[in-house]
Amino acid sequence: MTAAALACHTRNLSVAYRAEPVLHHVNFEVPVGSVMGVVGPNGSGKSTLIKAMLGLVTPLTGRSEFFGHPLDKVRQRIGYMSQSTSVDWDFPTTVSDLVTMGTYGELGWLRRPGRAERGRAIAALERTGIPDLANRQIGELSGGQRQRAFLARSLVQEPDLYFMDEPFQGIDAKSQQAMIEVLKDLSLQGKTIVIVHHHLATVRDYCTHVTLLNGSIVASGPSAEAFTKDNIRIAYEVREGAEAFLETAG
Amino acid sequence: MMDPIEFFGNHTFRMVFLGTSVIGLVAGALGSFAYLRKQSLISDVVAHSALPGALLAFLAAVLVLEVNGRNMLGLLVGAIITGTLSALFANTIASRTKIRIDTAMAISLTMFFGGGMILLRIISQGQFPGKGGIDEYLFGNASVITIADLTTIIAVGALALILMVVFWKEFALRTFDPDFSTLLGFRARAIDTLMFTTIVIAIVIGVKAVGVVLMIAFVVTPPAAARQWTNTLPSMVALSGVFGAAGSAFGAYISVSLGSVPTGPVIVLTLFLIFLISLFAAPRRSIIATALRQARARETLRRELRSETVDK
Repeated sequence: MTAAALACHTRNLSVAYRAEPVLHHVNFEVPVGSVMGVVGPNGSGKSTLIKAMLGLVTPLTGRSEFFGHPLDKVRQRIGYMSQSTSVDWDFPTTVSDLVTMGTYGELGWLRRPGRAERGRAIAALERTGIPDLANRQIGELSGGQRQRAFLARSLVQEPDLYFMDEPFQGIDAKSQQAMIEVLKDLSLQGKTIVIVHHHLATVRDYCTHVTLLNGSIVASGPSAEAFTKDNIRIAYEVREGAEAFLETAG
Repeated sequence: MMDPIEFFGNHTFRMVFLGTSVIGLVAGALGSFAYLRKQSLISDVVAHSALPGALLAFLAAVLVLEVNGRNMLGLLVGAIITGTLSALFANTIASRTKIRIDTAMAISLTMFFGGGMILLRIISQGQFPGKGGIDEYLFGNASVITIADLTTIIAVGALALILMVVFWKEFALRTFDPDFSTLLGFRARAIDTLMFTTIVIAIVIGVKAVGVVLMIAFVVTPPAAARQWTNTLPSMVALSGVFGAAGSAFGAYISVSLGSVPTGPVIVLTLFLIFLISLFAAPRRSIIATALRQARARETLRRELRSETVDK
C-alpha cells in the first residue's frame, strides 16, 4: 500500500487516562474508499483510538495524518459523528439548527450561517429520511432519529473521510436501514468511512476492512483476512468452550 | 403600593430601579450559558469569592491610590480577579487530585469567603476613609448606587452582552457539543475564556447592589424559568434576560414601596415566584404537562402489553 492511497494513518499511538494505559503502540491505516470497522470488546479503546487521532484526547506518543497531512491542514475534509450519548439532548435547539452546526467549521470564527447553510441542512435531513422533523425540538427525538440527525450533521460537512462512533447504538430497525443506505451511497461515491462497531454478526455486511482492537491492534486489513475466528478469539479473549459465541458472532 | 410618579420622581429610587434592572438583564441573559453548561454552582463559587477581591480593591484604592475606595470599576476588577482565581482553584483541585468537583468547589468557596470576612473585619475596625457601608458587599444595598456606578454597570454589562452576541455561534456550539466544536477547529480554551469572562462579569456587576451572597439567584433562577417556556437558544437567552430585568424592576419597586425592606432579597423572591409559575404553567415542560404526558404514555404501553398477552 502506498502512502498516497491512505485516507488516514496513525503510527505508534499510545494513550493513557491518568496512569491507566488504554492504547499501546497502535499502528492503524485506512485505505481511501474503504469502510473500516473498528471492533473490540468494551474498554478495548475503540472510541479512544478515534478521539486520539482527531485530537480530542491527547496521546502520550504517536502521530496521525489524514490524506498525508496533519489534522489542522485538512479539517474540512473530515467528519465526525460522536456517540449520541455525548451531548445533552435537553439543549434548547431544533433539529435543523443542530444539523446546521455541521457548516460551522467552514464558516470559521464569527461568520454566521445563512440561508445557503440552512438549505444544506434540510438537504442532509432529506438524505437521512427525516426532513419532516426539521423544526422539532431535539429532545423530542427517538434514539434512531437522534442518530439520523447526527448523521445529517456530518453529511452537511461534505467530508471525504467520516469517523462514526457506534452509529447504530440503540436504534430501531427502520433508522438503521435508512442509515445503512446513506453509508452505502457514501461508499459508492468513494468516501472513506471509519466506523466503531460492536455488533460482530453484522460487521461483514457493512465493512470492507476490519480492525480488531484490544488495547493494541490484534489484526487489521481487508475483512476476509483480518476478521477471522482466530483473531476474534484473541481480541475477545474467548476461552475454550465458548465456540457457541463465535458461531453466533460470525 | 407607591404612586409611580412619586417613585420615579425620586433620584435614589430611580437609581435602585435602573441599577437592579440592568443587573437582572445581564445576569439573566448570560446566566443561560452557565445553566446550559451546568455551571450554576461554580457561578456561586465566583460570587462568594468576589468578596475578598472587592475588599482588596477597596484597600488598594484608599491606601495606595488614595481615591474613593468604593468606586465601581475597582470593585469589579478586584471581584473578577478573586472570583476567577477561586473557580480555577476548584477546577485544579478536581482535575489534579481524587477530590471531586463538588467538594473542591465548597473548599474554594469557603476559603475565599472566609478570607473576605477577615478582611471585612479588619476594614470595619480600622481607620479607613469611606469605609462606611463596606459590610453591605455581603447582602448589597441598591440605594447607594450612584450615577457613576450605574454608568459603569451599564458599560461593563453591555460589553459582556456584546461579546455574547459576537461569539454567539461559537458559544452555542461549544456549550452543546464541546468535542464537535474542537474538531471543527475552534480553540476550546479561547471560547471557554471568553464565555467564562462574560459569566463572571454578569456575576460581579451585582456585588454592590445585591451582595455576594444572593447574587447567584440572579444568574441561575431566570434561565431555569426561561427554559420552561422556550425551545431555542436565542429565545431562552432573550426571555431569561427579560425575566431577570422585569423581576428585578418589580422587586425593586415593591421593596421601595414597602419601606425598610432590603431590595436584593425581595428581588430574589420575585425571581423565585417567576420560576415557580414557570414550573407549573409552562405549556410543554410544566410539572403538570409532564405528568399528564407520562401517564398517557404509560397507559398506551399498558394497553399494548395487554393486547400482546391476549394474542398469545
